[in-house]
Amino acid sequence: MSFRHLWAVTRKEIQHIFRDRATFILVLITPTVVLLLMTYTLAVNIEHVPLAVLDYDQSPTSRAFIQRITAGEDLDLYSQVDSIAEIEDMLIQGQVKAAVIISPGFSRDLLSLQGIDLQVIIDGTEPESGGFAVEHIGWRAEAFANEILADQFQIQGIPLESLQPIDLRVQAWFNPGLKPIIDLVPGLISIVLGFPALTVALTLAREHEHSTMEQLLVSPIKRTDLLLGKIVPYILVGLLNVMLIPIFAILWFRVPFQGNFLVFIALSAIFLFAELSMGMVIGVFMKSQSAALAMSFLVVMFPGFFLTGIFFPITAMPEIARLESLFLPGTHYAIITRGVFLTGIGLETLWPNAVMLLIIGTAFILISALFFKKRLA
Amino acid sequence: MTESAFINITELTREFKNKTALEQITLSIQEGELFGLVGPDGAGKTTLLRILAGLLQITAGQVVAAGYDLNKEPEEIKPHIGYMAQEFSLYEKLSVVENLMFFADLYNVDVKEQEDRIQKLLSFAGLTEFKNRRAAHLSGGMQKKLALATTLLHEPPLLLLDEPTTGVDPISRREFWNILTDLHLNGTTIIVSTPYMDEADRCSRVGLMYQGELVICDSPVNIRNLLDGDLVKITTSDWQEAHTVLAPLAGVKEIQTYGEALHILVDSGKTRLPQLTRALKEHNLAVDEARTASPRMEEAFISLIRKMDQVN
Repeated sequence: MSFRHLWAVTRKEIQHIFRDRATFILVLITPTVVLLLMTYTLAVNIEHVPLAVLDYDQSPTSRAFIQRITAGEDLDLYSQVDSIAEIEDMLIQGQVKAAVIISPGFSRDLLSLQGIDLQVIIDGTEPESGGFAVEHIGWRAEAFANEILADQFQIQGIPLESLQPIDLRVQAWFNPGLKPIIDLVPGLISIVLGFPALTVALTLAREHEHSTMEQLLVSPIKRTDLLLGKIVPYILVGLLNVMLIPIFAILWFRVPFQGNFLVFIALSAIFLFAELSMGMVIGVFMKSQSAALAMSFLVVMFPGFFLTGIFFPITAMPEIARLESLFLPGTHYAIITRGVFLTGIGLETLWPNAVMLLIIGTAFILISALFFKKRLA
Repeated sequence: MTESAFINITELTREFKNKTALEQITLSIQEGELFGLVGPDGAGKTTLLRILAGLLQITAGQVVAAGYDLNKEPEEIKPHIGYMAQEFSLYEKLSVVENLMFFADLYNVDVKEQEDRIQKLLSFAGLTEFKNRRAAHLSGGMQKKLALATTLLHEPPLLLLDEPTTGVDPISRREFWNILTDLHLNGTTIIVSTPYMDEADRCSRVGLMYQGELVICDSPVNIRNLLDGDLVKITTSDWQEAHTVLAPLAGVKEIQTYGEALHILVDSGKTRLPQLTRALKEHNLAVDEARTASPRMEEAFISLIRKMDQVN
């Protein structure tokens, strides 16, 4: 190992990053911008879902109920209708995303403790808003029923405490909006930090395309020095991102940061090493930048979305996917970011993930070195 | 072939997937030679240079260069050669000096000497006033000179240059060759491939490659003398018609076309020139120019390649 060679490549690569506009943007600007975009598209708070209501009961209670479910920012009363046919029209034309049908015996059933019968029809083509509407109507209905019944019980002299369990449960769940963002942002950090990895995959291909590779291969540099010299600068700029992004997450998205910042930086460096080594493996096999780009989307970005447990729980995956997720640096880093941000856990809990990242990184570096030949094809 | 030769190539064959790029090449080059490799595109010049640089694996045969067996020690020879690839292969985003410093590091040039050597090479290549310019913004000729300068940083005893002057203007070409001549005089062994015959003329020895084979290898003078006979150059109003008229005449061995001009190889220039012009006039062809000339390497090579094609 020659530190002179390593440093020569690192220095040259840093000069390139800061002088090549495309690389600069990809490495230093894109992660933050993509974090912003993804947070807003994925964690967007569904609001003002238009509702149609068909009230067969026409009682003071049912009118109070309608007012109640549409009082918040989440559901809007678009129209009160007189027939199912009208509901169908509105759904088809997209004027409403959901409709509530209140049965004729609504107030009678409610007051006689029979349980209420509510029908909700949703636009199946937009399951997100539909599901959201069902969920929120359910909460509101439960709260409404509890209130009415509490009044009723009070009149009849039944102690209120017997209602507490239901009430608490509803309260605990009734926290729409804020939770997803807080939950999502730390996970997304592990995805957006994949961009430096993508650039690493491109850097070898770039040398091939500009035939500078020939000049490197003919020089006495050892291949491990060359590969490491290409990874180190991207770890360094990756760490710039690692410092920038939490500040952004904390100040902009109001995500709490419970853990130790230095531990976070250290673990992030290990993650970058693993992720960039993975990018390097791609770079070793792909001789053109476009092929390397396509491949890194396939191997780094997509699994980052689907297999690292950020959006879909790993426990729910088939065994093969679970196994694969174990070897993705993002899986471990998502655990780390969530832990450090949200629960404030440190190395005492996260060390197995750190060790795993080190193993993955070393393995990928060895694979790249093994398949990178100091010869032309 | 002598044992003491600087480079010994014995029955070297290199095969690619669908193609034999080099076939049974045997060649030895002495220390201090300025050896020119000529031949049409695809003849195998680049493959041969890349093998000598340790960049390509040898399919069969043996290559020993500067004391290194390239079958076994392709990495070990690398510190001792300067290799210049055909395409511009320096970092466009780096300045002239930064490129030189990068390669000085890779070739472990002594840190104390580094600054000195870079200054010397900059003035040697005439790049001193451009030293802070990005490589991307240099002219083609300056890029080639910079590339050459980077190969000289570690003062290698063996220089391998792959078409270093292709795509360069004539003045830069001449400057480049003056540098090469200086290096040659200082004792550096140089192997250079070139498509230009005037450049081949400046080499101490020339090897002609064709379809993966080394057709001939000799000094420029000897190669020119291979042409048995004299050369007559004729320019007429219609070269195609002239070609058909002259080809069957007695004493005409070969006709090569150079644009409008015909270069005709005859057994004796003195006796044949009047006969040829007379024949043309009989066919009502206006003769713009007709004279004897001494054969150049170009005619010799084309003649050799034609003979090879006839054999095949």
